[in-house]
Amino acid sequence: MREVDELGLVPEGGYLTIFIPATGNAFVFRVKSRVNRGFERIHYGPLPLPAGLMLPSYVGGAIPVPVAGVMPGTTYIPSELAISFPFRGVFSETDMWYIPKDWRERLFHVITEVTPKWLRIDVQIPKGVTQGRFQRDQVSTGVDKPFGFARGRIELIHFPEIHYGYRFGNDTNLNVYTGVDFTYAEYIIEVPKSPDLIFDILTRRIPSKWITMPITIYNDTIKRAFLETYGIEGFPLYREDQRSEAVSAYSSILMEVMV
Amino acid sequence: MVREILTLKGESDGSSTSGDFPLYSDLIYHDTSAPWTPPTRILIPYGLKAKIWAKRIAAQGATTFTIYWSKDATAMSPAWEAIDVEVLSSAGELALEKRRPIVIRSLTGKEGFKVSWSQSTASKAYVELEVEFTDEE
Repeated sequence: MREVDELGLVPEGGYLTIFIPATGNAFVFRVKSRVNRGFERIHYGPLPLPAGLMLPSYVGGAIPVPVAGVMPGTTYIPSELAISFPFRGVFSETDMWYIPKDWRERLFHVITEVTPKWLRIDVQIPKGVTQGRFQRDQVSTGVDKPFGFARGRIELIHFPEIHYGYRFGNDTNLNVYTGVDFTYAEYIIEVPKSPDLIFDILTRRIPSKWITMPITIYNDTIKRAFLETYGIEGFPLYREDQRSEAVSAYSSILMEVMV
Repeated sequence: MVREILTLKGESDGSSTSGDFPLYSDLIYHDTSAPWTPPTRILIPYGLKAKIWAKRIAAQGATTFTIYWSKDATAMSPAWEAIDVEVLSSAGELALEKRRPIVIRSLTGKEGFKVSWSQSTASKAYVELEVEFTDEE
C-alpha cells in the first residue's frame, strides 16, 4: 500500500509519522478512518484580511488593505497580525483547524494552497511564536525575511490544543485578490501499540507518510498540548542497530499513551 | 514548485503617441485613485522568473509594441532595456504563441518589466500577455 493517496493524504490503515525537529521526537499514528473521504477540498475564499488593516511594506511604511481579501503589493503580515481561518459553527469560530485536547482521536492533515501562488507563507506554532531559524537562533527567518518561507503551498498537521498563526507576504508590486484552498483529512487515529512496529516505522522499514513540522522552538504551549492530548512528547529516533534499546524505551512511552 | 499564470491586458489611451500600458488582470485589484491605479510595471517576486508565453497585440494604426525590463524596477526612474519588439505596420492584430518564452529573472527582487506603445499618429492599441511566474527552469 502506498503511504499516501493521489491527494497526498494517508489512506485508511496507513501510518503517519510527524517529526518535531526541536525535540528530535516523532509521533507515529495509524489512521483508523478518514471521515471526510471523497470530500477533501474546501474552497475557503479570500484570505481573511479586513479592509483598512495596515500591513507593513517590504520597502518601508505601511499600506492599508483596500478591500477585504486583497493583499496590497509589497506587503506582508507581521508576527502580531498572523491569521487563523475563521469559520462559522466550528469549535473555535476564529480558528477552523483548532480542536481541544479531549478530541484527541481526531487529527487534521491540512494542505493550504493560496492564490496567487507566488505569495510567501510561513506559520507560527503556536500563534505568536515564529519558528523560522537559521544557524541555531542566530537569525530569524520568515515571510518578512529573504528566506525561510514557502510560496503558495504549505502542508501541516494541526495538533489539538494549539492555535496556529499563518503569515503571508506579497513581494510583487501588484495589489492582488487572494484565494485559499484547503485539501485536508480529518483522521481518526491511534498510536500503534507495538514497540517493534514503531521502531520499524521510525527506521523507515515500514512505509509511512512523514511530515516534518516547522517547530524549532519548543515552548510550553506545545509541550503542554502534547502531554495533555497524547500523554507523551513523541518517540525518540534510534539507529537501526539499537532495536532492543528502542523497543524498551518505546514500551515505557506506550504505557503513557492516551490515544 | 511555484507556478501562476496571469493574463495581462493593456489598452492605450488613444490620444498619446507613446506610453506604458496600464496592465489589468483578474487577480489584480485596481481603482481609479492612487495608489490603486493599474500598474504600468510588474515587479517579479524575488527568486522567481517571469515567462512571457504569448502575446496578442492589436491597434487601429501603425504601432510598435516593446517589452522592457529593468534591473531595478523599484527605482523612481528605472533604466529600461528593450527585450522584445513587435511592429504592426498598419491597423490590425497579431497573435504570437511562443514555444520558448521570453524569460526575465528576479535575481535581486527588484527586477521588473513593462510594455510600451509607440506610434506616429495616436490611435488605440491593445496588448495581452500570458505571463507565468515560476521557479522552474
